[in-house]
Amino acid sequence: MPDLPELNPVIHGKLRLALLSLLSSVEEAEFTWLRSKTGSTDGNLGAQLLKLEEAGYVAVEKKFVQRKPQTLYRMTDDGRSALTEYVSALKELLGSAI
Amino acid sequence: MTSNVDEQDLKDRLSLIETMIAEGRRTTESWGWTFVLWGVAYYIAIAWATLGQSVVAWPITMISASVLTMVLASRRAASRPDTTVGRAMLAIWFGMGVSTFIVMMSLGISGRLELHVAVAIVGAMLGAANATSGIILKWKMQFACAVVWWASAAISCFLSEIQAGILFVIAIFFCQIVFGIYGMVAESRKRKAGRAGHGVSHA
Repeated sequence: MPDLPELNPVIHGKLRLALLSLLSSVEEAEFTWLRSKTGSTDGNLGAQLLKLEEAGYVAVEKKFVQRKPQTLYRMTDDGRSALTEYVSALKELLGSAI
Repeated sequence: MTSNVDEQDLKDRLSLIETMIAEGRRTTESWGWTFVLWGVAYYIAIAWATLGQSVVAWPITMISASVLTMVLASRRAASRPDTTVGRAMLAIWFGMGVSTFIVMMSLGISGRLELHVAVAIVGAMLGAANATSGIILKWKMQFACAVVWWASAAISCFLSEIQAGILFVIAIFFCQIVFGIYGMVAESRKRKAGRAGHGVSHA
């Protein structure tokens, strides 16, 4: 029997997967936009984004726009590769089921 | 399938990825209001230039509309992410706007601007910008607007000055006002559908 691929545990979390997918479709996004798209709380969203940042999958930039603080998140090349590998692994696991 | 991995859960993960990517892309499509704004700006410029016989009507109205668009767009953009498609749209319309402004201003200052030429240039430029945007966004209705603008540009060359002016007013109505309102309604529907369809609350 062939070896089945492992799913990356950092990406497998539902909210982290949603965040990476959202960030894959944009160049960069603000914290509030990610919150509105995922319907998550500030605390949970911040914690999951920190995990993705620690894994090197997202990069953070903090700046001020019209005197208001803005936190921008951008997917890194490592994050894009990890998401691509995760999708490939998912498809392989599902096989003929999709 | 491995025993410890639930097939339905994996399908849900795949579906979540697709939904979120679509949600991110949807963000770029909120530009219907700019078509209405510019349609109204064209009408103001036409009315001012015709009734007021003013040579500064077009430049002042176009510059004012540009500033207003930039201010409103930057306010809306503050809460939205940057996307490659969004930057492509900005590049197309910025390039079209600057090119048209430079040519029209030069023709106006040199005294060689005729209504036929003006409608032909503006129609061709708007046709090109709408066609390019329509192809990138896969929006058939916008491509149809491009066809109307191209047709107006070509036909205006064979009409009298008054007829060319009337043709321009009609094209603005359909390709700016009607299309802009249609775009705003479509965007509103998409936003409502998006709000109803997402929500990922746990890790």
